[in-house]
Amino acid sequence: MSRLTRRNFLQVSAGLAAFSGIAGTPKEAGASPGKEALATLIDCTRCDGCVDHDVPLCVAACRERALNRIPDPVDPIPPLFPRGMIEDWSKRKDVYDRLTPYTQLFIQRADVPVDGGIRTVYLPRRCMHCDNPPCATLCPFTANHKYPDGSVVIDPDLCFGGAKCRSVCPWNIPQRQSGIGIYLEIMPTLAGNGVMFKCDLCHDRLLNQQLPLCVEACPRDAMVIGLRRDIMKEAERRAAETGGYLYGLTENGGTGTIYLSPVPFEEINKVVEKGPGRPHFDKVSRRPARASLMETSVLMSPVIGMGAGLTAAMLAVRNRVKKKGEGENDD
Amino acid sequence: MTDRVIEGKNLVRRHSVLELVEHWAIALSGLLLILTGLLELPIGKRYYVTEIPWFSWSGDFYTTLTIHYIAAVVFVAASFFHVFYHGLLGEGGLLPRRGDLKESIKVIKTFFGKGDEPPFEKYLPEQRLAYMGMAFIIAMLIISGLVKTYKNLLDPQLSYAVTSAATWIHNIFFVLFIAAFIAHIAALVIKPNRPMVRGIFTGTIRLDYARGRHSLWMAALERTKTPSTDDGRGGEREEVAGTGARKDGHVLPGEKPDPGNETGSERTNDKKEEL
Ligand code: SF4
Ligand code: SF4
Ligand code: SF4
Repeated sequence: MSRLTRRNFLQVSAGLAAFSGIAGTPKEAGASPGKEALATLIDCTRCDGCVDHDVPLCVAACRERALNRIPDPVDPIPPLFPRGMIEDWSKRKDVYDRLTPYTQLFIQRADVPVDGGIRTVYLPRRCMHCDNPPCATLCPFTANHKYPDGSVVIDPDLCFGGAKCRSVCPWNIPQRQSGIGIYLEIMPTLAGNGVMFKCDLCHDRLLNQQLPLCVEACPRDAMVIGLRRDIMKEAERRAAETGGYLYGLTENGGTGTIYLSPVPFEEINKVVEKGPGRPHFDKVSRRPARASLMETSVLMSPVIGMGAGLTAAMLAVRNRVKKKGEGENDD
Repeated sequence: MTDRVIEGKNLVRRHSVLELVEHWAIALSGLLLILTGLLELPIGKRYYVTEIPWFSWSGDFYTTLTIHYIAAVVFVAASFFHVFYHGLLGEGGLLPRRGDLKESIKVIKTFFGKGDEPPFEKYLPEQRLAYMGMAFIIAMLIISGLVKTYKNLLDPQLSYAVTSAATWIHNIFFVLFIAAFIAHIAALVIKPNRPMVRGIFTGTIRLDYARGRHSLWMAALERTKTPSTDDGRGGEREEVAGTGARKDGHVLPGEKPDPGNETGSERTNDKKEEL
């Protein structure tokens, strides 16, 4: 298909300039790396789970990067007061059938009953890079931030590992490695518990006009990254063409990761193994809700206070003038 | 302002009902903001807060955030009301003046038995300084909090610089706010200040205490013959025994209370005190 440039960067128009380097087209004016929102299409009609490989190729590529980036934890990892579980994956780095700090992408397998048979679907799972990522907006230290290119990135130098991001993420994506990070320098027994890790869309590579490692590694072109609007169109087009189903368009108020599957996601959700590090495929509405009554009221509260203050002051002055008039009559 | 002497009951009215409402709206919503603000850190579960009866919600960040927002509406609206209402009416008795810092140090020394207290106006110099400090902390919390709310509501992709500035200003002034709150409570525990405590609950304090300690304020209050606004609650207006004169103790703009004595003359001339 000529719509795909080189392998996996979607080129619909010349708007591909941000990736001209890798896409092999001349640089175009207008777009620059890191500025335009990107999105990924994960086409599960193409992914075969790399069943012929020990470790799926995309997973292996991602893990290698993670292994190079995560330092070894201190030994022993300080105990936590008054309680809290130390999560040490450093001795289980080879776990790749769920999300861990070292496995920020894994392949979920769904054996879906279809027409009396079983249809197996492989779903590469990782952070969705939500449009409104609560993991980032609710981080107490801005250690997690959504960048204009759409990537949601945890800064390992600022993260305390409190795992609030995991609690507020609808898919509980971020994973903790205890015994590393800034918390060790402050009050390691009392506050913090390591560093949280998740897919960052290979933010550093995107800035260098390189494809994310997993996208590059896939031999079946199952993942496509491109300008957000192009990816959305392409997802709709492929879904219509194949009669497939999409996930991620509206979840949590919209995400930067769209899954295409030949079977409905409700069916997939019923059969995939779920639990810690193994996210669901539920319908998810946006949290915190956009323009919720509460937040709107907060933003309006200065106006409410000002209005009330002005009104009350005017009434008080009127009262005073009236009283003064009366007082003078009395005298 | 409704300051006036209620001689028969040995009381003097120090705060109007409106001022009490303002204070408690800010104080109670502020406490709730401190509590839910702390719970925005992932400590609810780890520190067993979720296991306190009725506190199981404390580990759910969306619940704590919603409560934080509800309290913030009251807190922000009351703060803006305070500034606009008293600002427009020119009531600036709590604003610091020149020399307050020096004076405060002197007064604090007297708490430790060094020297005698100077005569006071309605507010102690350190009360005026503490007010300014608290006002600044609250202003920074409100500005940064509004930016954070705006980000959560409308613009999750607000630039990193703005987001992180708002976050850290909010965090740092949150700590200062807790410190200021503790200092505020600590000041009430100091013995000479204790008779003032009832003022923030009832609006009135003991007349003999006020005459003794706040002589400059009382002098101004009792020398003013002009009847003035009393918040519309004329029924409460009392006559000063024996004089037949109405004493609601107001100095209207343009009027100058007589200086109480030497030390106070310079400062009572500052009309702000009673405006
Ligand atoms: S999927 Fe979870 S971790 Fe990823 S951006 Fe959304 S909320 Fe954050
Ligand atoms: S984009 Fe990068 S970090 Fe994310 S799953 Fe792919 S390789 Fe891993
Ligand atoms: S996405 Fe590609 S590399 Fe990853 S498992 Fe599927 S086929 Fe293999």
